[in-house]
Amino acid sequence: MIGSLSRSTPVIVQGITGRMGRSHAALMRAYGTNIVGGTSTRTDMTEAAGVPVFTSCAEAVLETGALASVAMAPPEETWAAVREALAGGIKLIVTVAEGVPLHDAIKIGRAVRRAGAVWVGASTPGLAVPGECKLGFLPDVCLNPGPIGIMSKSGTLSYEVGYRLAREGLGQSIWVGVGGDPVKGVRFADMLPVFFDDPRTKSIVLVGEVGGAEEEECADAYARLGARKPLLALIAGREAKEGVSMGHAGALVHGESGTLESKSKRLTAAGAKVFGSIDSLIARCLRYHRFDKR
Amino acid sequence: MLLIETDGKTLFAEHGIPVPECVLVTGSVPPLPGDGPWVVKAQVPVGGRGKAGGIAFCDSPAAVAAATSRLLGSRLKGHAVDACLVEAAATGQERYLAIMVDAASYGLRVIYAAQGGVEIEQSGSAQGRLCAPHPGAVAEVLADLIADEPIAWRTQIATVGKAMASMLLRQELALVEINPLFVSDSGCVAGDAKVVIDLNAVFRQPRIAALLTARPAIYLDACRKLEEGFDYVELDPAGEIGLVTTGAGLSMMLIDELTARGAKPLNFCDIRTGQMRGSPARLIRVLQWITERPSLKAVLVNIFAGITDLGEFAGLLAAAIAASPSLQVPVVARLVGRNAAEAKRILHDAQPGMLVTEDLAEALVRIDAIVGAAA
Repeated sequence: MIGSLSRSTPVIVQGITGRMGRSHAALMRAYGTNIVGGTSTRTDMTEAAGVPVFTSCAEAVLETGALASVAMAPPEETWAAVREALAGGIKLIVTVAEGVPLHDAIKIGRAVRRAGAVWVGASTPGLAVPGECKLGFLPDVCLNPGPIGIMSKSGTLSYEVGYRLAREGLGQSIWVGVGGDPVKGVRFADMLPVFFDDPRTKSIVLVGEVGGAEEEECADAYARLGARKPLLALIAGREAKEGVSMGHAGALVHGESGTLESKSKRLTAAGAKVFGSIDSLIARCLRYHRFDKR
Repeated sequence: MLLIETDGKTLFAEHGIPVPECVLVTGSVPPLPGDGPWVVKAQVPVGGRGKAGGIAFCDSPAAVAAATSRLLGSRLKGHAVDACLVEAAATGQERYLAIMVDAASYGLRVIYAAQGGVEIEQSGSAQGRLCAPHPGAVAEVLADLIADEPIAWRTQIATVGKAMASMLLRQELALVEINPLFVSDSGCVAGDAKVVIDLNAVFRQPRIAALLTARPAIYLDACRKLEEGFDYVELDPAGEIGLVTTGAGLSMMLIDELTARGAKPLNFCDIRTGQMRGSPARLIRVLQWITERPSLKAVLVNIFAGITDLGEFAGLLAAAIAASPSLQVPVVARLVGRNAAEAKRILHDAQPGMLVTEDLAEALVRIDAIVGAAA
């Protein structure tokens, strides 16, 4: 589903009459996303951000044929929003809320898996196929069509990377913010086959951070799948304080698990390159892709 | 986020998991439970206390007094020791039992090992099994894991496991671990308690909220987050560079890069510019915390504004600086993104000497110069 997203993919915005929903629906439309409608509990609005407002996802899907949804719901309402989207037949759900309770995330994950849908989030700025569409609020200034697949736990750190790449004339094929929560939808390892199979993607940038085991999982999958494209990783949090969540609920180091050393070692052993600074990552991308162009 | 042991054990007791008789010591030692021996344990929210010297086994009340006076007021793995738990030493064979959320499978992982102890996580002897997030499913896999134990013990261990599962699910926890779990013919006792809570669920978990707010000094970072709605973590009370930053990943990366070049960042901060809604209050709070530290030499503001209007942010920053008389060190601002030129103009008018740049490298060079000149 992620690999085939395009400007024709029909997308709805759940919570479109709220402050965030309205403004981001408009920004997504301006970028080129095919926003076909939205949902709201308000019955006095039939239109917002230039598209029709429905009372449920089921109705929105029936009327518009929407396949994907961006849920602009607060963290404590995200589980209900996902339930509604799945009941309506949505196949790709992006939940942007930061702070979704862990046990709600487990319920969401199980329900999405049962429905055979795809979930991106929570705590994500969303995803984009630059030049085609964006689902969420990745800043336009960072988006530039190009050969690099980006996957990131952190919004801002990936903005910084994307922005510097764009400034150097490089761009992205598919950009997915997997989010900074421990229990989430699409994980780094899930994205590898998508990037490997995507003809636009020539190299993959992983923007990770300490905590959890996703980078290690991804390293194992990378080795198993045959390292078909270069994997370049930047991992934040070398100086993170043990036992404290560093902003993201998932960025939590306990003892030796979740440390930068553990992630860096596994990724390197699997054939990926790990960088200690943003500058060195960008320099490597430039070298690789400028050489590639000639 | 990890609870200190005594709070974990309070939850254990409330859920029917047996814990040793104990007393919490914050100053002089009160009457001790039992006739000894005792275990004295520093109450800090971090693992590996034993290896770091935070646990003492004592045969006499005098030894307990010596251990508590040595530990209280010291620092252990970066945390101040404000309290020690003194317990009647439990006896029996040591086992390891843990139930945790397993992120990849959207379920729980139950781990049981026939040897407890500090090396358990490295030794690889622990067996883990995945199951659905339901007490019945936990009971089923635990029954398999303890199948080799004597029959009389299995019932006791299963009872503890059942209580742990219901505690994890009801209180929405990430991890409940007992290491060691003392097992004997007279019953099970939890020698330690490692309980990791979900800060995102505290709003609907009043019991957890009460535990946190009862100890604002120990749970400083968590209490701040709950109260203020954003993240601020002090990394080094003797740090020299105060950070006003947004975005967890970019803020962490900046700290890593500053440290790699020999600078001493004071704090981590994810101020969430998108939630400030026209008020400088958050900025004023952060400047207040930062300027409480006498070692401060410079403040670095780093904002990548995808959505936030930097013009608006610059106005708030100027207002916050004006409202912070305690701020006596130079501020350097690296602002990139929407409306950066306008932000530069606003800050230039309000704070003529302040460097405002879109280039992170330039900002870092200026910080080096300020810190170097102050040294």
